[in-house]
Amino acid sequence: MSRLARLISAGLLCAAIAALPPIAAADAVDADPDLAKRDEDYAAGKRAVEKKDWSQAVRLFQRAEVRNPDNADLQNMLGYSYRNLKQYDLAFTHYKRAIELDPRHRGAHEYIGEAYLLTGDLANAEKHLAALRDICLLPCEELKDLERAVAEYRARKT
Amino acid sequence: MKLRLIQISFAVALAVHGLAQADDTNSQTGPLGKVSFPTSCDSKVQPAFERAVAMLHSFWYSAGEKAFRDVLKDDPQCAIAAWGIASILMSNPLAGQGASPKGAEQAQAAIDEGRRIGAKTERERDYIEAVATYYKDFPTRPEKERQASRAKAYEALAQKYPTDDEAQIFFALYLAGTQTQADQTYAAYLRAAAILENEFRKYPDHPGVAHYLIHSYDAPPIADKGLAAARKYAGIAPAAPHALHMPSHIFTRVGAWEESAATNARSLEVAKAGNEPDEAYHATDYMVYAYLQLARDAEARRSIDAAMKITGSNPARFTAPYAIAAMPARYAFERGAWQEAAKLQPTGSTYPFVEAITYFTRSVGASRSGDLAAARKDAEQLESIHKALLAAKNTYWATEVEVQWLAATGWIALGEGRSDEALKFMRAAADLEDHNEKHIVTPGRIVPARELLGDMLLELKQPDAALKEYEASQLREPNRFRNYLGSARAAEMAGDRAKAAAYYQKLLVLAKDADTARPELESAKKLASR
Repeated sequence: MSRLARLISAGLLCAAIAALPPIAAADAVDADPDLAKRDEDYAAGKRAVEKKDWSQAVRLFQRAEVRNPDNADLQNMLGYSYRNLKQYDLAFTHYKRAIELDPRHRGAHEYIGEAYLLTGDLANAEKHLAALRDICLLPCEELKDLERAVAEYRARKT
Repeated sequence: MKLRLIQISFAVALAVHGLAQADDTNSQTGPLGKVSFPTSCDSKVQPAFERAVAMLHSFWYSAGEKAFRDVLKDDPQCAIAAWGIASILMSNPLAGQGASPKGAEQAQAAIDEGRRIGAKTERERDYIEAVATYYKDFPTRPEKERQASRAKAYEALAQKYPTDDEAQIFFALYLAGTQTQADQTYAAYLRAAAILENEFRKYPDHPGVAHYLIHSYDAPPIADKGLAAARKYAGIAPAAPHALHMPSHIFTRVGAWEESAATNARSLEVAKAGNEPDEAYHATDYMVYAYLQLARDAEARRSIDAAMKITGSNPARFTAPYAIAAMPARYAFERGAWQEAAKLQPTGSTYPFVEAITYFTRSVGASRSGDLAAARKDAEQLESIHKALLAAKNTYWATEVEVQWLAATGWIALGEGRSDEALKFMRAAADLEDHNEKHIVTPGRIVPARELLGDMLLELKQPDAALKEYEASQLREPNRFRNYLGSARAAEMAGDRAKAAAYYQKLLVLAKDADTARPELESAKKLASR
């Protein structure tokens, strides 16, 4: 599944769960299951990502970040948007922050790994591949995608 | 501050409906502990105001909100009553759920009314502004941020009025409300507990102090520090269902099952009489858990059957749905009734993590009774629920379901003869669970993952390793029947007859008043005396 398709798919699943009686509102300990619902800038940023309008996405996510500085998903989305703008230093900053906030954030590990491959840093990509192997003892798309990306990178280099 | 005994002699006019077994509104009278909260309000409403504050301290939401509103009605200039309304609408500040959107609107209206009235003292105005910080920009701020700003505002209040014990106590409560699941040093809890211990020495009959001490010690390594408050609280406020239930959070943590069952039985009766279905379900789940540790299976069964007749629970809370799914799962698991476990039916809850309880129990039950095809099917359900929760960013419950999925997959692998894989999955489940605190909605997971790892090692004839895991599990989940049984069997298999006998003896002590002849107890009797 492409990452954009996965992001959209995740959004649809998220919406489906959010439509249920208040799982999000009733969750006692989750960091922020409901951010897209209560932060218009974040929701608009995700729509900009769907349209691949990366500059607009960054602007909107930055506005949301002021109100939600500790949201791992928001940091991940900022990293993703900067990565697509080829501003890798900023992408790494936000991916690392996402992982700092949630060390088991599957998406952030995959995307930062792929970003490292884009900058030719295989060693760091493999560190995040190893992290994903630990996290995804049971199947997960993020591990498969990063494994594939690393394999393709190696094939290109040989 | 001088404290004054509040004798609750009023009848709260709540309509009794929705509870099939409700029959006694009179139980809503009675003592709620000693609270002193001086105000500038008309002296005729002061006793009622302090009773309302006592209800707030015991999280008695419906009665408390009404009591504060009645105060405001009886003295329209009593602005501090608006603080009480806004405070009680924050719901349980330790559950992380926070106010509902509708509750927040009502609270903001109360705050606006309090400001419009204009409290006669700066202290009262400061209280109103402190609670207002929580509701500021309510729709656009995450609950964690609201909690943090609330704690900060009450810290400032407590510093400004150092001799105001209520300010210290509320600050401690809201500080404890900032404790995160990730921090296993329990820094916020322990800081709150230090404040509360000081207040507890001064005011041993204050409902909030004893209550919040229990919450502040509601974590495995520090639970025993809360025993004094737990044993005191139910006696301080026996009219409040939550006060009767809350001590069992500590009793469960330390494995004091008889005390847990007794206080929850009283909580259940008060909850039923007071038309509090969610509290009734919650108390029953804790009580069933306790009965099963004592091998009082018949009492557990009766309690489950009675609870299932209760109607009128709040669909916006998962308290009742959780108990409805958890109780039959516990009943099967704790008795090792694997075929029964495999046949449990999903409850149709709209909360995915509640449905996961049943699929987990079914899957492990099916694996342990040899039906691997059924076990795989139920594990697939866990996978779907896990993915959906991850996608919904519901990290906490996604992790809880991941533990269940890993464990179910481990038992399937064991059934397929892939022992190494099985242990890898089961160990990962146990490690993951150790870093995710249990939720306050539940007395405990359906089974501790590390105890289940011990079971698996025992099946694989690795008794030394099994015993190690059982004993590690005892640190977080002490005095459990199945743990002692597994520990005894592991010690016996390892050839340590003295240790085996000691564990069988513990099992017999635990089950001394068993109302059911569990086969394990018969063999324990023989082996304990060897």
